[in-house]
Amino acid sequence: MRRRTSLLFVAPALLLFGVFVLYPMVTAFSYAFFDWRGTTRSDFAGLANFDALFSRAPFTTDLPRALGHNLLFFLGTMLAQNTIGLGIAYLLYRRDRTRRVLQTLYAMPYLLSPIVIGYLWTLLLSPTFGPVNTLLTKVGLESWAVPWLGRPSTALWVVVLVSVWQWIGFPVLLYGAALGGVPDDLTEAARVDGASPRQTFFRIVLPLLVPAIGTVTVLTFIFAMEAFALPYAVGGSTGNPAGATDFVSLLFYRTAFDSGATDAIGTSSALATLLFLLIFGGALLATWVLRRQERRITG
Amino acid sequence: MGKIGSVRRGRMLAVAAAGALVLSACAPSDSGDDAGNGGTGGTGASAGAAGNATLTVWSWRVEDKAAYEKIFAAYEKKHPGVKVDFKAFKATEYNKILATGLAGSGGPDVPQVRSYGQLQTTVASGSLVPLDGKVDVSSWDANSVASAKGKSDGRLYAVPFARQTVQMFYNKRLFEKNGLQPPATWADFMKANITLRKTDVTPIAVGAKDDWTLPIVHEVLAAPRFGGKAFADAARTGKTSFTDPAWVDSVKVVGDLKQYMPKNVTGVAQTDAQTLFSSGQAAMIPGGSFDLSVLQKPDPTLQIGVFQVPPPPGSPAGSSATTPGWADGNFAVSKKSKHQAQAMELVQWMSTPEFGQMVADEIKQISAVPGVTYSDPLLKQMNDAYTKNGSPYLLLTDFRYGAPSGTDLMGKGVQQLLLGQKDAAGVSKDLDTGIKTWFKPSGS
Repeated sequence: MRRRTSLLFVAPALLLFGVFVLYPMVTAFSYAFFDWRGTTRSDFAGLANFDALFSRAPFTTDLPRALGHNLLFFLGTMLAQNTIGLGIAYLLYRRDRTRRVLQTLYAMPYLLSPIVIGYLWTLLLSPTFGPVNTLLTKVGLESWAVPWLGRPSTALWVVVLVSVWQWIGFPVLLYGAALGGVPDDLTEAARVDGASPRQTFFRIVLPLLVPAIGTVTVLTFIFAMEAFALPYAVGGSTGNPAGATDFVSLLFYRTAFDSGATDAIGTSSALATLLFLLIFGGALLATWVLRRQERRITG
Repeated sequence: MGKIGSVRRGRMLAVAAAGALVLSACAPSDSGDDAGNGGTGGTGASAGAAGNATLTVWSWRVEDKAAYEKIFAAYEKKHPGVKVDFKAFKATEYNKILATGLAGSGGPDVPQVRSYGQLQTTVASGSLVPLDGKVDVSSWDANSVASAKGKSDGRLYAVPFARQTVQMFYNKRLFEKNGLQPPATWADFMKANITLRKTDVTPIAVGAKDDWTLPIVHEVLAAPRFGGKAFADAARTGKTSFTDPAWVDSVKVVGDLKQYMPKNVTGVAQTDAQTLFSSGQAAMIPGGSFDLSVLQKPDPTLQIGVFQVPPPPGSPAGSSATTPGWADGNFAVSKKSKHQAQAMELVQWMSTPEFGQMVADEIKQISAVPGVTYSDPLLKQMNDAYTKNGSPYLLLTDFRYGAPSGTDLMGKGVQQLLLGQKDAAGVSKDLDTGIKTWFKPSGS
């Protein structure tokens, strides 16, 4: 009886999830196994669409490059979010008066759409009219006033930094909450035993934060692998300049909507499926590794 | 331990939900299995007595809604019983919306469809009624008509409605101030660049951060160098390729002119380039006829002129300045329309000089219909230049039928050229190699 009642409560959400998430997902998966003529499904194609991703232009060049950018984006954002985010959270920890205000301020960009953020930073970093380069020139750093988004060597890292700038509030909040869960008696005992603040942080606090670090890392991985809006706003659908900000989602978008190829639905669905498997597999692997780590720490 | 457990559960849920969302976001919205099976065309269509109908027209030109309503009001007046319901969608989402609309129910009777390569997906879906023998376009510009044909069967599926041309826009006052005239020879053009560079004005505004602008810049600056129309004919039949020295040299022309473009040009967005020109900080900008209103808007007093860039040195003997162009959009009849006769009549009307004149007067575009006159002097000049000595914007008209497309490859290639990563030969070779993965010469 209780089971039935609980099912009744879950049913609406389950229905919505089924119709709007599960059904399109399974459908997209099935599309990848067929030939397409425009929007008309043709013969069963087996794994031909997947094969095309590894044997046909432009995928042979664009897919490895885009995937590489996704991974660099993940590494960059993960390192920055876990170090800067944890650093800020630790600095705010126990500052009761200012913590709430500062946490809110750090989370503010989080409320804006990545499209808006991308557009704003494009304007700010414009070498022609942007205030960033004007400021750098005025303070004597003219050699730093480079076309940040116009050079392949800097463009991807600008996307990483802008993303970190936007999302830093999230790890700050998460680490803030995790720090609040570190038992005071442990840190007190360490202090009484003569541990320095540095030792307390690295020997007591940091190990207890591993579950939170794991959560941030896994979520950052998912976020980085499916990144679309910010790279699109900054570098367009082709990953300007010269493909330096190309991501797998952008390649999917180009294949599905811009290519002019009549079999676009098949190949783009195969690409979407591949991306899903990469994210799902990668996230499961990371979760497994982190869970083992947690077990080791918590004994 | 309980806290760690809840974190784990939350994480697993997050993994599952995020992963699922990626795939579902990537899913096409409709399979279109039933394309061509009849159905319910025409949103809100109200079939009445014979001849009476409400026709739904879909378009991506949100900005032209008022003009189209005026045009269709004129049509309704002459066709009692027929109502035309014009619906415009955001251009960037239109392809997706149209594919869904044409495959399922509730789609348009008369859709505005893309041109050349981008039309082929719609044609392959079997969503459009062939118009051969129903619309007479025999006297039209062949380049425009090609935009509305199926590549595999050569049949006509739509009526071209507008034509775009690309040319050099210039600031008349800045030219006068520096004692310059629209150049008649390459030497004049270079003299203008050198003179302007000595002032605080950027000679040529280019937004090379946006790669899609660069094949246009190449066409405007160097089309005569590779031979314009003659090269286009040879390339589409496979008699030459993009590694031809004439093409390589035309790419080099763009690289050689970098010194007259804005500093850090690969970081300059197209909107910034347009602002440089509109605010009088740049004297010239290569652009399309579709850019005219954008350039005029910030300062309506700005005196804009247009010219064709003269042939660069080394251009084939007898070549003259040219205006590259292409047809930009068509109107078609949906196979699922419940009002086939009325929809066909409307599309037939769209091929008449009456409609063409309205496109020129109300939408301020160059009409694809021959014989239209233009009251706007710049529009007239651009149309006359194309009619007199036009050439196809080759990478768009003939090399966008597969991936990687000619325009994408050239956009990226010219960026690499301007960044110093590749030379003109390398850019041309990449273009040639990329295109050859899918291109089959016509007649082969």
